Amino acid sequence: MFKEQPTNNETETIIGPSVRVEGDFITEGNIIIEGIVCGTVKTAKNLSVGAKSKIFANVTASNALISGEVQGNIKVKERLELTATARIYGDIKAGTLVIAAGSVLDGKCQMTKGKDKTPKPDFSRQEKITLEQKEDKKK
Amino acid sequence: MYYYIYDSYLSEKKYVSTLARIENRLTDLGINGKINRLSFLKNIRQVLEDEVKKGTKTIVVVGNDQTLNKVVNIIHDLNITIGYIPVGKNNISELLNIPEAELACDTLSARIIKNVDLGKINDEYFFTTLIAGGQQATINCDDNFFLTLENKNNYIQISKLSSSNKFDNNKLEVLICDRKRKLLKQTNKSCSRLFSKTIKITSKKPMSISIKDEAQVVKTPTTISVVPKKINIICGKGINC
Repeated sequence: MFKEQPTNNETETIIGPSVRVEGDFITEGNIIIEGIVCGTVKTAKNLSVGAKSKIFANVTASNALISGEVQGNIKVKERLELTATARIYGDIKAGTLVIAAGSVLDGKCQMTKGKDKTPKPDFSRQEKITLEQKEDKKK
Repeated sequence: MYYYIYDSYLSEKKYVSTLARIENRLTDLGINGKINRLSFLKNIRQVLEDEVKKGTKTIVVVGNDQTLNKVVNIIHDLNITIGYIPVGKNNISELLNIPEAELACDTLSARIIKNVDLGKINDEYFFTTLIAGGQQATINCDDNFFLTLENKNNYIQISKLSSSNKFDNNKLEVLICDRKRKLLKQTNKSCSRLFSKTIKITSKKPMSISIKDEAQVVKTPTTISVVPKKINIICGKGINC
Protein backbone atom coordinates (compact mmCIF):
# COMPACT_ATOMS: atom_id res chain seq x y z
CA MET A 1 0.00 0.00 0.00
CA PHE A 2 2.69 2.49 1.02
CA LYS A 3 5.58 1.76 -1.29
CA GLU A 4 7.59 4.66 0.03
CA GLN A 5 7.16 3.55 3.63
CA PRO A 6 10.43 3.94 5.54
CA THR A 7 11.59 0.75 7.14
CA ASN A 8 15.17 1.41 8.17
CA ASN A 9 14.41 3.07 11.52
CA GLU A 10 11.32 2.21 13.55
CA THR A 11 11.10 5.57 15.32
CA GLU A 12 11.96 7.79 12.37
CA THR A 13 9.63 10.74 11.90
CA ILE A 14 9.12 12.15 8.43
CA ILE A 15 7.33 15.39 7.60
CA GLY A 16 6.55 15.38 3.89
CA PRO A 17 6.51 18.43 1.60
CA SER A 18 2.74 18.85 1.60
CA VAL A 19 2.43 18.95 5.40
CA ARG A 20 2.60 21.96 7.70
CA VAL A 21 3.36 21.41 11.39
CA GLU A 22 2.67 23.98 14.11
CA GLY A 23 3.58 23.61 17.76
CA ASP A 24 6.19 21.86 19.90
CA PHE A 25 7.51 19.03 17.77
CA ILE A 26 9.47 16.90 20.22
CA THR A 27 10.51 13.30 19.54
CA GLU A 28 13.07 10.76 20.68
CA GLY A 29 14.07 9.40 17.28
CA ASN A 30 15.45 10.72 14.00
CA ILE A 31 13.52 13.44 12.16
CA ILE A 32 13.43 14.17 8.43
CA ILE A 33 11.70 17.42 7.52
CA GLU A 34 10.66 18.19 3.95
CA GLY A 35 7.72 20.49 4.74
CA ILE A 36 7.05 23.56 6.88
CA VAL A 37 7.44 23.60 10.66
CA CYS A 38 6.56 26.47 13.00
CA GLY A 39 7.25 26.38 16.73
CA THR A 40 9.93 24.19 18.29
CA VAL A 41 11.82 21.19 16.93
CA LYS A 42 13.62 18.98 19.39
CA THR A 43 15.08 15.51 19.12
CA ALA A 44 17.62 13.46 21.04
CA LYS A 45 18.94 11.99 17.77
CA ASN A 46 19.49 13.17 14.21
CA LEU A 47 17.72 15.87 12.25
CA SER A 48 17.70 16.24 8.48
CA VAL A 49 16.16 19.31 6.81
CA GLY A 50 15.46 19.04 3.08
CA ALA A 51 16.37 21.65 0.50
CA LYS A 52 12.78 22.82 -0.04
CA SER A 53 11.72 22.82 3.59
CA LYS A 54 11.26 25.84 5.83
CA ILE A 55 11.55 25.87 9.59
CA PHE A 56 10.39 28.83 11.65
CA ALA A 57 11.50 27.43 14.97
CA ASN A 58 14.34 26.91 17.39
CA VAL A 59 16.01 23.60 16.70
CA THR A 60 17.75 21.22 19.11
CA ALA A 61 19.32 17.94 18.03
CA SER A 62 22.25 15.64 18.58
CA ASN A 63 23.35 15.81 14.93
CA ALA A 64 21.88 17.87 12.12
CA LEU A 65 22.17 18.05 8.34
CA ILE A 66 20.51 21.19 7.03
CA SER A 67 19.80 21.91 3.37
CA GLY A 68 16.81 24.22 3.68
CA GLU A 69 15.81 27.39 5.45
CA VAL A 70 15.81 27.81 9.23
CA GLN A 71 14.64 31.00 10.89
CA GLY A 72 15.56 30.40 14.50
CA ASN A 73 18.42 29.33 16.70
CA ILE A 74 20.07 25.96 16.23
CA LYS A 75 21.67 24.01 19.03
CA VAL A 76 23.43 20.79 18.06
CA LYS A 77 25.33 18.71 20.56
CA GLU A 78 27.61 16.89 18.11
CA ARG A 79 27.86 17.64 14.37
CA LEU A 80 26.09 20.34 12.43
CA GLU A 81 26.43 20.31 8.68
CA LEU A 82 25.14 23.08 6.42
CA THR A 83 24.98 22.15 2.76
CA ALA A 84 25.25 24.53 -0.18
CA THR A 85 21.49 25.26 -0.17
CA ALA A 86 21.23 25.91 3.58
CA ARG A 87 20.03 29.30 4.77
CA ILE A 88 20.23 29.94 8.52
CA TYR A 89 18.84 33.14 10.03
CA GLY A 90 19.68 32.78 13.68
CA ASP A 91 22.43 31.78 16.06
CA ILE A 92 24.07 28.38 15.96
CA LYS A 93 25.79 26.38 18.64
CA ALA A 94 27.52 23.11 17.71
CA GLY A 95 30.24 20.70 18.73
CA THR A 96 31.54 20.19 15.20
CA LEU A 97 30.61 22.50 12.35
CA VAL A 98 30.75 21.86 8.61
CA ILE A 99 29.73 24.69 6.28
CA ALA A 100 29.63 24.08 2.54
CA ALA A 101 30.39 26.80 0.01
CA GLY A 102 27.22 28.68 -0.93
CA SER A 103 25.36 28.26 2.37
CA VAL A 104 24.04 31.33 4.19
CA LEU A 105 24.58 31.91 7.91
CA ASP A 106 23.22 35.15 9.33
CA GLY A 107 23.82 35.00 13.08
CA LYS A 108 26.30 34.21 15.80
CA CYS A 109 28.30 31.00 15.87
CA GLN A 110 29.48 29.29 19.03
CA MET A 111 31.42 26.06 19.31
CA THR A 112 30.60 24.00 22.37
CA LYS A 113 33.34 21.34 22.42
CA GLY A 114 35.92 22.22 25.03
CA LYS A 115 39.04 22.90 22.98
CA ASP A 116 41.26 24.64 25.49
CA LYS A 117 42.42 28.12 24.61
CA THR A 118 46.13 28.86 24.92
CA PRO A 119 46.60 30.79 28.20
CA LYS A 120 47.57 34.45 27.70
CA PRO A 121 51.13 35.15 28.93
CA ASP A 122 51.50 37.58 31.82
CA PHE A 123 53.25 40.59 30.27
CA SER A 124 53.09 42.73 33.45
CA ARG A 125 56.11 40.97 35.08
CA GLN A 126 58.47 41.70 32.20
CA GLU A 127 60.97 44.45 33.02
CA LYS A 128 60.67 47.57 30.95
CA ILE A 129 63.72 48.09 28.76
CA THR A 130 64.39 51.74 27.79
CA LEU A 131 66.50 53.01 24.88
CA GLU A 132 69.29 54.22 27.25
CA GLN A 133 69.59 50.75 28.82
CA LYS A 134 69.83 49.20 25.36
CA GLU A 135 72.71 51.55 24.40
CA ASP A 136 74.53 50.82 27.71
CA LYS A 137 74.25 47.09 27.03
CA LYS A 138 75.73 47.55 23.57
CA LYS A 139 78.71 49.40 25.02
CA MET B 1 -11.98 -23.89 30.51
CA TYR B 2 -12.51 -22.80 26.93
CA TYR B 3 -15.59 -21.25 25.32
CA TYR B 4 -15.83 -21.00 21.53
CA ILE B 5 -17.66 -18.32 19.56
CA TYR B 6 -18.28 -19.03 15.89
CA ASP B 7 -19.19 -16.27 13.46
CA SER B 8 -22.54 -16.71 11.75
CA TYR B 9 -21.02 -16.95 8.26
CA LEU B 10 -19.35 -20.25 9.24
CA SER B 11 -22.77 -21.93 8.99
CA GLU B 12 -22.32 -22.06 5.21
CA LYS B 13 -21.62 -25.46 3.62
CA LYS B 14 -18.15 -24.58 2.38
CA TYR B 15 -16.86 -24.23 5.96
CA VAL B 16 -18.21 -27.56 7.23
CA SER B 17 -15.01 -29.53 6.58
CA THR B 18 -12.79 -26.78 8.01
CA LEU B 19 -14.82 -26.64 11.21
CA ALA B 20 -14.77 -30.44 11.48
CA ARG B 21 -10.96 -30.46 11.23
CA ILE B 22 -10.73 -27.68 13.84
CA GLU B 23 -13.04 -29.46 16.26
CA ASN B 24 -11.21 -32.77 15.86
CA ARG B 25 -7.89 -31.12 16.58
CA LEU B 26 -9.26 -29.35 19.64
CA THR B 27 -10.52 -32.69 20.94
CA ASP B 28 -7.14 -34.34 20.32
CA LEU B 29 -5.44 -31.54 22.26
CA GLY B 30 -8.01 -31.75 25.05
CA ILE B 31 -9.03 -28.09 24.80
CA ASN B 32 -12.53 -28.45 23.39
CA GLY B 33 -15.40 -26.65 25.07
CA LYS B 34 -18.86 -25.15 24.59
CA ILE B 35 -19.69 -23.59 21.26
CA ASN B 36 -21.90 -20.59 20.58
CA ARG B 37 -22.67 -18.84 17.30
CA LEU B 38 -22.86 -15.09 16.87
CA SER B 39 -26.30 -13.87 15.90
CA PHE B 40 -28.05 -10.51 15.99
CA LEU B 41 -30.84 -12.20 17.96
CA LYS B 42 -28.57 -13.21 20.79
CA ASN B 43 -27.24 -10.97 23.53
CA ILE B 44 -23.73 -12.36 23.34
CA ARG B 45 -22.49 -10.06 26.10
CA GLN B 46 -24.93 -11.57 28.60
CA VAL B 47 -24.05 -15.10 27.52
CA LEU B 48 -20.31 -14.47 27.96
CA GLU B 49 -20.74 -12.78 31.32
CA ASP B 50 -22.64 -15.85 32.55
CA GLU B 51 -19.88 -18.15 31.23
CA VAL B 52 -17.16 -16.10 32.93
CA LYS B 53 -19.06 -16.34 36.22
CA LYS B 54 -19.17 -20.13 35.77
CA GLY B 55 -15.39 -20.23 35.51
CA THR B 56 -14.50 -19.81 31.83
CA LYS B 57 -10.99 -18.41 31.56
CA THR B 58 -10.54 -18.31 27.80
CA ILE B 59 -12.91 -17.20 25.07
CA VAL B 60 -11.87 -18.34 21.61
CA VAL B 61 -13.09 -16.50 18.52
CA VAL B 62 -13.45 -18.62 15.39
CA GLY B 63 -13.84 -16.53 12.24
CA ASN B 64 -12.12 -13.54 10.70
CA ASP B 65 -10.71 -10.18 11.84
CA GLN B 66 -14.16 -8.63 11.91
CA THR B 67 -15.38 -11.38 14.23
CA LEU B 68 -12.44 -10.87 16.56
CA ASN B 69 -12.88 -7.11 16.63
CA LYS B 70 -16.62 -7.45 17.26
CA VAL B 71 -16.08 -9.80 20.21
CA VAL B 72 -13.26 -7.67 21.66
CA ASN B 73 -15.54 -4.63 21.62
CA ILE B 74 -18.18 -6.61 23.49
CA ILE B 75 -15.97 -8.15 26.18
CA HIS B 76 -13.00 -5.81 26.50
CA ASP B 77 -13.73 -5.09 30.16
CA LEU B 78 -14.07 -8.73 31.26
CA ASN B 79 -10.84 -10.00 32.78
CA ILE B 80 -10.31 -13.01 30.51
CA THR B 81 -7.93 -14.33 27.89
CA ILE B 82 -8.92 -14.22 24.22
CA GLY B 83 -7.94 -16.87 21.71
CA TYR B 84 -8.30 -16.68 17.94
CA ILE B 85 -8.73 -19.39 15.32
CA PRO B 86 -8.74 -17.61 11.96
CA VAL B 87 -10.63 -19.16 9.08
CA GLY B 88 -8.93 -17.93 5.94
CA LYS B 89 -6.10 -15.39 5.58
CA ASN B 90 -6.51 -12.48 7.93
CA ASN B 91 -4.42 -9.44 8.76
CA ILE B 92 -4.57 -9.68 12.57
CA SER B 93 -3.70 -13.38 12.60
CA GLU B 94 -0.62 -12.74 10.46
CA LEU B 95 0.53 -9.96 12.76
CA LEU B 96 0.00 -12.17 15.83
CA ASN B 97 1.74 -15.13 14.13
CA ILE B 98 -1.36 -17.32 14.39
CA PRO B 99 -1.71 -19.86 11.56
CA GLU B 100 -5.04 -20.72 9.92
CA ALA B 101 -7.76 -23.20 10.89
CA GLU B 102 -6.64 -26.43 12.62
CA LEU B 103 -3.00 -25.25 12.85
CA ALA B 104 -4.18 -22.43 15.11
CA CYS B 105 -5.37 -25.04 17.62
CA ASP B 106 -1.74 -25.88 18.42
CA THR B 107 -1.04 -22.17 19.00
CA LEU B 108 -4.05 -22.09 21.28
CA SER B 109 -2.79 -25.11 23.18
CA ALA B 110 0.66 -23.54 23.65
CA ARG B 111 -0.99 -20.59 25.46
CA ILE B 112 1.59 -17.90 24.81
CA ILE B 113 -0.39 -15.03 26.28
CA LYS B 114 0.49 -11.43 25.50
CA ASN B 115 -0.97 -8.30 27.03
CA VAL B 116 -1.50 -6.05 24.01
CA ASP B 117 -2.48 -2.44 23.46
CA LEU B 118 -5.59 -1.52 21.52
CA GLY B 119 -6.43 1.58 19.58
CA LYS B 120 -9.64 3.44 20.40
CA ILE B 121 -11.62 5.67 18.09
CA ASN B 122 -14.43 7.43 19.93
CA ASP B 123 -15.91 4.41 21.79
CA GLU B 124 -14.78 1.67 19.41
CA TYR B 125 -11.67 -0.44 19.92
CA PHE B 126 -9.54 -1.58 17.02
CA PHE B 127 -6.45 -3.74 16.56
CA THR B 128 -4.85 -2.59 13.38
CA THR B 129 -5.66 0.28 11.06
CA LEU B 130 -7.87 3.26 10.35
CA ILE B 131 -8.02 4.75 6.87
CA ALA B 132 -9.15 8.26 5.97
CA GLY B 133 -8.49 10.93 3.41
CA GLY B 134 -9.83 12.93 0.55
CA GLN B 135 -10.44 16.12 2.55
CA GLN B 136 -8.47 19.02 3.95
CA ALA B 137 -7.93 18.16 7.59
CA THR B 138 -6.15 19.14 10.78
CA ILE B 139 -4.52 16.43 12.86
CA ASN B 140 -3.76 17.36 16.48
CA CYS B 141 -1.09 15.10 18.02
CA ASP B 142 -0.88 14.79 21.82
CA ASP B 143 -2.08 18.41 22.14
CA ASN B 144 1.55 19.38 21.46
CA PHE B 145 1.49 20.10 17.76
CA PHE B 146 -0.88 19.88 14.85
CA LEU B 147 -0.54 19.08 11.19
CA THR B 148 -2.45 20.89 8.52
CA LEU B 149 -3.21 18.99 5.34
CA GLU B 150 -4.21 21.42 2.65
CA ASN B 151 -4.10 18.99 -0.19
CA LYS B 152 -7.40 17.14 -0.77
CA ASN B 153 -5.60 14.28 -2.49
CA ASN B 154 -4.30 12.84 0.72
CA TYR B 155 -4.45 9.35 2.17
CA ILE B 156 -4.23 8.98 5.93
CA GLN B 157 -3.50 5.67 7.65
CA ILE B 158 -3.44 5.40 11.43
CA SER B 159 -2.12 2.10 12.77
CA LYS B 160 -1.81 0.57 16.19
CA LEU B 161 -0.68 -2.86 15.15
CA SER B 162 1.14 -3.17 11.85
CA SER B 163 4.29 -4.63 10.38
CA SER B 164 6.03 -1.29 10.84
CA ASN B 165 4.62 -0.39 14.27
CA LYS B 166 5.85 -2.76 16.96
CA PHE B 167 3.81 -4.06 19.82
CA ASP B 168 5.90 -2.42 22.50
CA ASN B 169 5.64 1.02 20.94
CA ASN B 170 2.87 2.54 23.02
CA LYS B 171 1.91 4.88 20.19
CA LEU B 172 -0.15 5.17 17.05
CA GLU B 173 1.67 5.35 13.75
CA VAL B 174 0.32 8.04 11.43
CA LEU B 175 1.11 7.76 7.73
CA ILE B 176 0.03 10.56 5.40
CA CYS B 177 0.49 10.17 1.69
CA ASP B 178 0.01 12.84 -0.91
CA ARG B 179 -1.54 11.08 -3.87
CA LYS B 180 -1.20 12.17 -7.44
CA ARG B 181 -3.62 11.06 -10.11
CA LYS B 182 -1.96 9.91 -13.28
CA LEU B 183 -4.66 8.95 -15.80
CA LEU B 184 -6.54 6.17 -14.00
CA LYS B 185 -3.74 5.28 -11.61
CA GLN B 186 -3.03 6.81 -8.25
CA THR B 187 0.56 6.87 -7.16
CA ASN B 188 1.95 8.00 -3.83
CA LYS B 189 3.89 11.22 -4.43
CA SER B 190 5.35 11.73 -0.96
CA CYS B 191 4.71 10.37 2.50
CA SER B 192 4.89 11.65 6.06
CA ARG B 193 5.24 9.42 9.07
CA LEU B 194 5.03 10.17 12.76
CA PHE B 195 4.04 8.65 16.09
CA SER B 196 1.59 9.93 18.65
CA LYS B 197 -0.38 8.64 21.66
CA THR B 198 -3.50 10.70 21.06
CA ILE B 199 -4.79 12.08 17.78
CA LYS B 200 -7.70 14.43 17.14
CA ILE B 201 -8.84 14.83 13.56
CA THR B 202 -11.02 17.73 12.48
CA SER B 203 -12.03 18.91 9.03
CA LYS B 204 -14.23 21.59 7.51
CA LYS B 205 -16.47 18.97 5.90
CA PRO B 206 -17.11 15.63 7.67
CA MET B 207 -14.50 13.12 6.60
CA SER B 208 -15.10 9.37 6.72
CA ILE B 209 -12.66 7.24 8.68
CA SER B 210 -12.87 3.54 7.95
CA ILE B 211 -12.05 0.99 10.67
CA LYS B 212 -10.33 -1.75 8.69
CA ASP B 213 -10.91 -4.49 11.32
CA GLU B 214 -14.63 -4.05 11.35
CA ALA B 215 -15.54 -2.54 7.95
CA GLN B 216 -17.15 0.32 9.83
CA VAL B 217 -17.07 4.05 9.15
CA VAL B 218 -16.78 6.93 11.64
CA LYS B 219 -17.06 10.62 10.75
CA THR B 220 -14.85 13.51 11.90
CA PRO B 221 -14.39 15.21 14.32
CA THR B 222 -12.96 12.25 16.15
CA THR B 223 -10.44 11.35 18.85
CA ILE B 224 -8.13 8.37 18.46
CA SER B 225 -5.97 7.10 21.29
CA VAL B 226 -3.99 4.13 22.53
CA VAL B 227 -5.32 2.03 25.41
CA PRO B 228 -2.22 0.35 26.80
CA LYS B 229 -2.23 -3.31 27.89
CA LYS B 230 -5.95 -3.61 27.27
CA ILE B 231 -6.47 -7.31 26.55
CA ASN B 232 -4.76 -10.66 27.02
CA ILE B 233 -4.57 -12.60 23.79
CA ILE B 234 -3.00 -15.92 22.85
CA CYS B 235 -0.34 -15.30 20.19
CA GLY B 236 2.03 -17.36 18.13
CA LYS B 237 5.75 -17.63 18.82
CA GLY B 238 8.10 -14.77 18.14
CA ILE B 239 5.85 -11.90 19.16
CA ASN B 240 7.53 -9.41 21.49
CA CYS B 241 5.24 -7.32 23.63
